[in-house]
Amino acid sequence: MQNILAVLLQLDPNQSSRSLFAGDTSIWHNMADALHQSLDRVLLLLIAVLPGILAFLVALAVFTLIGMAVSALLRRGLAAAKLDERLVDERGNSNWAPSTSPTALIARASFWGCVLLGLIIGVLAFDASYATTAILSSSLLPYLTRIVGAAVLLIAGTLIARFLARSVLIGAVNEQLQYARFLSLGIKWLVLVLTAAMVLEHLEIGGNIVGLAFGILFGGIVLTLALAVGLGSRDLVSRSLESRAEHPGQSSAPPPTAIADDSIRHF
Amino acid sequence: MATADLNPGVITPSAPPGNGLLVLLAAMTPEQLDSVFAKLTVSFPGEELLIATPDAISEALPASAHPSFRIVAAPASNTAWTLIATDFVNAYQLAEKHEARAILVLGSESGSLSSFALRQLANAALGPTDLAVPCYDLPPHAGLVNSAILYPLTRALFASRVRFPLAVDLGFSLRMAKRLADAAQHFTAINQGETPLWPVNEATEAGFTIEQFDVGSHVQSSRPDFNTIFPLVIASLFSDIKAKAAFWQRFRPLSPASIAIPMPPAPTIDTAADIAPMLSAFRLAYSNLHEIWSHVLSPNSLLMLKRLAATDAAAFRLSDNLWARIVYDFLLAYRLRTINRGHLLGALIPLYLAWVASHFNITASGANPEGHIEAVAAAFETEKTYMVSRWRWPDRFNP
Repeated sequence: MQNILAVLLQLDPNQSSRSLFAGDTSIWHNMADALHQSLDRVLLLLIAVLPGILAFLVALAVFTLIGMAVSALLRRGLAAAKLDERLVDERGNSNWAPSTSPTALIARASFWGCVLLGLIIGVLAFDASYATTAILSSSLLPYLTRIVGAAVLLIAGTLIARFLARSVLIGAVNEQLQYARFLSLGIKWLVLVLTAAMVLEHLEIGGNIVGLAFGILFGGIVLTLALAVGLGSRDLVSRSLESRAEHPGQSSAPPPTAIADDSIRHF
Repeated sequence: MATADLNPGVITPSAPPGNGLLVLLAAMTPEQLDSVFAKLTVSFPGEELLIATPDAISEALPASAHPSFRIVAAPASNTAWTLIATDFVNAYQLAEKHEARAILVLGSESGSLSSFALRQLANAALGPTDLAVPCYDLPPHAGLVNSAILYPLTRALFASRVRFPLAVDLGFSLRMAKRLADAAQHFTAINQGETPLWPVNEATEAGFTIEQFDVGSHVQSSRPDFNTIFPLVIASLFSDIKAKAAFWQRFRPLSPASIAIPMPPAPTIDTAADIAPMLSAFRLAYSNLHEIWSHVLSPNSLLMLKRLAATDAAAFRLSDNLWARIVYDFLLAYRLRTINRGHLLGALIPLYLAWVASHFNITASGANPEGHIEAVAAAFETEKTYMVSRWRWPDRFNP
């Protein structure tokens, strides 16, 4: 800055305008150089990464094809060997559905085994081609495994949430609870919130905020459920207490339900 | 399986029983045991009888009171409400050990059966019949799962008129006992010994002779937990049907009726059951389980259920054909694992309650309960083609 001021004070107006133009040109040059350099660096990075990506894709595609071939061969071979029938004969009345017969399971397992192998080989090839050039390699690969772990967590959590929600819904309906759907939704969201918190924690996103938000949400859902169930069964509780107060010696019998009717014998 | 002597004074070494019959008793209270012993004394006067019981013979029931009985120990069964795989394995092993020709299995409440009925079951098993089954005379509001699902399904698929396929009192020949023990060993080998077995289906598949006997009324004092037992029984029957698919897909004419099934009178207004809780259970399920049912049932069935959910209690009627299709659709979903099997059978309970409500409405209007159950069984037979088509081509065949 001082240099610029010195130049402005010492030189005449005509000279000064030319120098300023020259200085402006140098700024543009510097900017262009900086941009070129960063572009070069990015291109170099891409050139370094590209073989790795290609190797990853080729490995995955090749092993997927191998998996398909192995799966088809196994399916045919095991069907010819009548593995399903033999297992049923040996193990008795097993619970194999057509979609989950032993042959189908083995074929499917072999296919996904090959895909997994391709994935591992692809990632290793990517690592090998990338490791020499960049600082990112030390952080990207572990993060990739974290992403895979988070995806598995998310899938498992969603499946568990769905299973528990259905179990609670059917159980509550068969117990004739009017708030069956609400209870089921509550359970589902409890598990989903727990899953989301675990996924974010696994990905190291959000830090303490995730734990805090999860605690607030989880507590909120539990409180909502407790209030809903408590308020919903308020009449039932008051009736029970009233009948106990009127007949202190007797235990209050619940009203007959669809299943527990004494005049009906289902079996 | 080892059998332990209960009372050395009572038990004799293993020797063939006088008439070749082994009577296998379920676990009973002393009163029940006393009642059964009294009935057996009348049924088999002066005959030497080999009795296997898991109960200890105490002073309350001295052996000297029944000198013609040879009592041996039998392993105790964990389940009292039905016969399970372990019971059949034990029965066969005991029969082989004591060289019996036939077995008479009696449930814990068999004391309510007549002496004549016990004799009939035993005689049939000792004679040319492979499986002798009882036909109980139950009140109109009893044995409803049997009337709604077990009997119609067995009759339609296995062409058998046996009215109580899951009876706890049975008589069977030694070869039938072997067949049942073989079937049961598949379950005991994988620690599923408490699975109920379906003797009628086994006998039908093996081509054995089955005979049904009217045994009169049957008193039921125990009340098993419905929500636990219902899925267990239905899952067991569905699994058995799945295992015997190659057999029942072929057409077979229905065996002629050998006995007249007892017709209980239609319930009067006083004895009519309250269907309101069942209807509210069904309506609650319709509003909550619709999404689950839509995975299993056809759109047409769902539409009919929608109409039914909006029907008044007095006019509530679940048509026999719709009920048959519902059961068949659940059977197919069980086979294909469309949804989790526990969820599937839980989702069937409200539909079964709707059938019970409809059945009560029909009988309250003057129809004979047994007549309606026969109509339901006929509907199952009519809809069997639908079932077979969907079983063979589950993806291609869409109703």
